[in-house]
This record gives sequence, C-alpha cells and structure tokens, in this order.
Amino acid sequence: MDKEELIARLKPIVSGYAQDQDALAAINEDTDFIKDLKINSANLVDVVLDVEEAFDIVIDNQSMEKMLTVKASIEVIQAKLQEK
Amino acid sequence: MIGNDLVDLLEAAQQSNWKRRGFLEKVCSLAEQRQISEAENPEELVWLFWSMKEAAYKIHSRITGIRSFAPALLDCKVDLVNSLQAQGTVCVDQQTYYSLSTIETNYIHTLAAQSQERLQTIRTEIHDQPLANYRLKNPACVSHHGRYIALVF
Repeated sequence: MDKEELIARLKPIVSGYAQDQDALAAINEDTDFIKDLKINSANLVDVVLDVEEAFDIVIDNQSMEKMLTVKASIEVIQAKLQEK
Repeated sequence: MIGNDLVDLLEAAQQSNWKRRGFLEKVCSLAEQRQISEAENPEELVWLFWSMKEAAYKIHSRITGIRSFAPALLDCKVDLVNSLQAQGTVCVDQQTYYSLSTIETNYIHTLAAQSQERLQTIRTEIHDQPLANYRLKNPACVSHHGRYIALVF
C-alpha cells in the first residue's frame, strides 16, 4: 500500500477524534496528531486501536511510541503489514 | 520544572471508552492494570493514573527533548490516598517524578515536580474555559480539558 493510499485510509480514522477541521482537511505526511489535529492524548490510544482493527495488525507499545504524526504512523503500518 | 494535568471526568466519560479492548494494555503497566481491576472505583483510578502520567510526561519530555507516546512506560505508584487527594510517584527511564492529585466530583487534577519540596510550593489556578489571555499570567504549565483550564506556577 503506498503512502497516498495509507493517508486516505488514515483520514476517516482520525476524523472521529480530530478537533481542528482545517488541519484535518489538509492532512498530509507532516500532520501531527496532537499539535495539528488537536487530538486529545487519550484519544490517541483510540486512533492506534482503530488502526489495528482497520489494517488487521497488532501494534506493540514500542511501535506506538512513535505514532504522533501521519508519517510515523505510515511507517509503523507499513512495517506491520510486511510482517504479516 | 513542574507539570500538571487535568481530566474533566464528564468529558473523559464522553470522549473515551477505557473499557474498550486493548485500551488499558496500551496505557497502563501490568501492576496498574491489576490495581484497576481490583479497585472499588476503577474509572476514577484509570483517570488518576492517566493524569499522573500526563503531568510527569510534560516535565520528562521537556527535559529529554523527546516526544513519544508510551503511557504504559510511565510507572505510577500511589503512596497515600484518601477520597480527596492522592500522593504518588511516576517513574520513567530511571527518573522519578513526584505527584499530588486532587480528586473532585467533576475532575482530577495532578501536579508533578522533580522533588517533594518543589511539589509543595506549586500554586494552582483552575478556571472554567475559555479563559482569555491566560498566557499573560505566565504559567509554568497549562492543562485544559473539557470545561476546565488549569494553570500552575
């Protein structure tokens, strides 16, 4: 799955938690979940759980550490999809 | 350096489902998970741990200059607790932060510092949101959630 496709699949997941709609509309690789989308940090857990369900992958806590941006999340998802 | 974190309990109940499968495993250590499962008021303990972790993380991330999302690695211990206050520590990467939490009906607010001495001298202001021009007050740390904003000095 390429980057654009992954961003397109991430967008509906984060849209449930994003509090900044302009940043959501402009979502790209550099988007920061907390600083840009203003996602509440407790909801970041939900983003990770939703990603696990949507892609049928398991994200260990070590991988979750990095998932503060779209770019880092894409890298984690790609790595986990390759492990399957 | 000091940190603080406020959880609006009504907002948290609406925003988050801590009973969701996998949620606590991603947020809490095994010891914390066990305490939650045995607690009389598990929801309160979940958000107490969460606010302790967040308050300590705000200091730790500034000291290390590293942002990461690893709540389960912030190891909470509550030493002293009554219905209104909880005193404890949060350990991460061999660093210990001291915490003092106030438990109200509507919110939990935690202060964190690098020493007990500093913890005792923190001044707190909690206001309803929105609060205009709060930056002018020059707080050391700001936390806002739901209906409230907390400033510490």
